[in-house]
Amino acid sequence: MSLSSVGGAKGLTTKHVMGKEVTLYIGGFHASEEPTLIKTLLGSCIAVCLHDPVTRVGGMNHFMLPRGGTHAHSPDASRFGVHAMDCLIGAMMKAGADRRRFVAKIFGGAHVLDMKESLASVPQQNIDFIRTFLVEEGFPVLSEDLGGYQPRHVQYFSHTGRARIKRVSSVQSRSRVLSREQQGQVEAPRFGDITLFD
Amino acid sequence: MAATILIADDSRMVRTMVRGALEADQHRVVDVADGRAALAALETTTADLVITDVNMPEMDGLTLVRSIRGDVRYRFTPILVLTTENSDAMRQRGREAGATGWLVKPFDADRLRQTVVHVLKRRHS
Repeated sequence: MSLSSVGGAKGLTTKHVMGKEVTLYIGGFHASEEPTLIKTLLGSCIAVCLHDPVTRVGGMNHFMLPRGGTHAHSPDASRFGVHAMDCLIGAMMKAGADRRRFVAKIFGGAHVLDMKESLASVPQQNIDFIRTFLVEEGFPVLSEDLGGYQPRHVQYFSHTGRARIKRVSSVQSRSRVLSREQQGQVEAPRFGDITLFD
Repeated sequence: MAATILIADDSRMVRTMVRGALEADQHRVVDVADGRAALAALETTTADLVITDVNMPEMDGLTLVRSIRGDVRYRFTPILVLTTENSDAMRQRGREAGATGWLVKPFDADRLRQTVVHVLKRRHS
């Protein structure tokens, strides 16, 4: 058995009819060879679902590029998007998957602040980043549901690679997404440690 | 001090980022996508430094470090592991394999460049 998750991943012990259930928050990722229902709620963030159809290892992450002082198109901002993908890919491989067989499904990037869609908006930059990344890395995209104005509930079945999307229209869910995403921006991503051995 | 640096990482975008940081200091960079390709590259390229990821297809980074250390030509060549793995247990495994240092992603380009200068100087001192 191999399970790998980090960051905002909760509910590892909750049993689901097809296996375990995990809920991801911003910065979280989870991959498993065990049948797992991975869930998340997205606003302007992106969730990438990867699946290896041979080993039936599946995984998902939930990220957004940092905003504020750093432009989301800058190399520094991309570095954190690449890192989010690197973590998921690493977890998939530790669970027994082979990246040469990965297929992807991508969701999110909604303009939840009711701003007009523009090329410079953070949701659009998140979308541009993940599309570029997946092309660069050679992972085929089987399906996507990106952009728009409504948050999304995503349910991903790791074993089959099946995904279910539900658009959210309730005021409560919408404010929950906004609050989480604003909190996520406050917690600026950090660079990793360096250890030199003797 | 310009050096020849071999990068092994299965992510093309990570390789591009590391290459960009190192070429800014005039280093010559050779990059490959896995450990097996890194060993093949070392047959034709004399590297002053190796930077490797851990989780890669074909051959993982720690196996690569052990293989390099088993080659008398590269016994003293600095090897930096650049990875998302940040547990003490994994660091210890890296140390035991013969790595010179352990850098956790996401990396800061300036700190990476400083670390490269430091380990290259240490090699020559």
